[in-house]
Amino acid sequence: MNIKSKFKEHYWPSFKKLVNKLTVQTKPVRTHTLSNGIVVIEPFSKTPLILFILLILSVIAWEATNVNLTYLFTRFGNFFDILRRMTSPRWAYWRNVIQPMLDTIQMSFLGSLIGALLALPVAFLSANNITKNRVVLGTTRFILSLVRTLPVLVYAAILALAFGFGVFAGTVAIAFFTFGILSKMMYENIETIDLGAYTAIEATGSNKPKAFVTAVFPQIMPSYLSYSLYSFEINIRYAAILGYVGAGGIGLLFDDRMAWRRYEDVAVLIVMLFIVVFTIENLSRYLRKRLS
Amino acid sequence: MIKFEKVGKIYPNGVEALKNVSLEVKQGEFVAIIGLSGAGKSTLIKLINKMHGVTSGTLTVNDIKVDKELKGKRLRSFRRQIGMVFQSFNLIGRTSVIRNVLAARVAEMSFIQSLFGIYSKADKIKALEALDKVGILEKAYSRAEQLSGGQQQRVALARTIAQDPSIILADEPVASLDPITANQVMKDFARVNKDLNITVIANMHHVDMALKYAKRVVGIRDGEVIYDGPAKNVNENLLKEIYGRDITDEDIMFKDDEHQI
Repeated sequence: MNIKSKFKEHYWPSFKKLVNKLTVQTKPVRTHTLSNGIVVIEPFSKTPLILFILLILSVIAWEATNVNLTYLFTRFGNFFDILRRMTSPRWAYWRNVIQPMLDTIQMSFLGSLIGALLALPVAFLSANNITKNRVVLGTTRFILSLVRTLPVLVYAAILALAFGFGVFAGTVAIAFFTFGILSKMMYENIETIDLGAYTAIEATGSNKPKAFVTAVFPQIMPSYLSYSLYSFEINIRYAAILGYVGAGGIGLLFDDRMAWRRYEDVAVLIVMLFIVVFTIENLSRYLRKRLS
Repeated sequence: MIKFEKVGKIYPNGVEALKNVSLEVKQGEFVAIIGLSGAGKSTLIKLINKMHGVTSGTLTVNDIKVDKELKGKRLRSFRRQIGMVFQSFNLIGRTSVIRNVLAARVAEMSFIQSLFGIYSKADKIKALEALDKVGILEKAYSRAEQLSGGQQQRVALARTIAQDPSIILADEPVASLDPITANQVMKDFARVNKDLNITVIANMHHVDMALKYAKRVVGIRDGEVIYDGPAKNVNENLLKEIYGRDITDEDIMFKDDEHQI
């Protein structure tokens, strides 16, 4: 049964009912008469219409992706089976995890650092209150959109082919990703700041880059550091799966252990990843709190 | 010396801000420019350091022609001789007072030095001395945003002094201050003008402040200079002509005389 016929049969009656209800409810224009005789007409609310459109889209998405609830329940047992096997981790495996884990942290840290450093000058060129040249503005923003198009996993896959499998490809992939999001966040941040001080420094005869680092840096620095730390936090999680496409780190181990169905080793991996992510997240949160 | 010769300014949106302005300001003068808002006061000041370019006529500042040819490196080194003070102070709020003053030295430094905020000992002493000249030395290591409006405007003046300018342009320097503080800041301007022989050109909306501190007054109406002469010769009738109406309370900072210092 295709979507169209199914839609007619199952959903059309309820759809009709809903439309009736919506129209009946909105037909009499709502007015309020005040004590002094002024009549205020309440404007038509768009909320029911939006909810209705969302509902239709959800139904289409449900049908198009073949979500099968019964399948979810019948196969749920397998999930518990794997989970049960994970309850007896092979702790001795931890020695094998240390080095790839350090690789993962290193990829994430270096990648975030390089990306964050590159993001600042580009943010300067992409902020429309600093850069008045439309060509420069358009070019940098277009490049930024391009950079942001690809997910980090795709970067890693491409770079692993270019630079060989390993940590280097992962680091560059994370740098690209961080650069893409951070430069956008920063130029939007720069566009909201007060440019008075920048104008004042420019009026002393300084060039734009020097006026920028002197007058704008102090204003954007706290949010810049905070965003950078936050990217590092996110990147740790991304770095953990980059190994799947050959870019080094503990993703390689995940791939390998799952393929061999060694769930007792996977359990060790998950526990160690949890500890690392948890520690870094809290450290980063602490630092960001100190910054604000 | 600043010399306007039949200078006109038309903005890209077609507004004619200045018409046929001829003026000559000698080194060390204190000139107040008065007029209604929108009369062209701000434009006149911003032409001098080429924040805006002139449309017609010639403008010469310290023997340098301020025209289309003045740009890039030459424009920047030209601007170093001219300090500017703004109505809204335009300080870098998140940094210390001394760093704000030192920011005036950035023009002379390398990019790397300014990136990491590496200032020379000589520059630091110069900045502290500038703060001392406006009587705010004890605030040198406070954060700029914690200062009151009057104090912030003094820091802005110190920043300008640290630049070693021969001219200071002030765009409504006291308009956002209360009357008492405004008087103190104007006194600082007067002292700097006298002690350091720096030319001061200030836009002033408040007539009483302009007449009190400037020796020379330029009255502008609809982009044209209609009075240029000593402050003491300015009378009620002249003001009426400049403002196109009677002087109201809004044009005067001190509403009654007993508050005068």
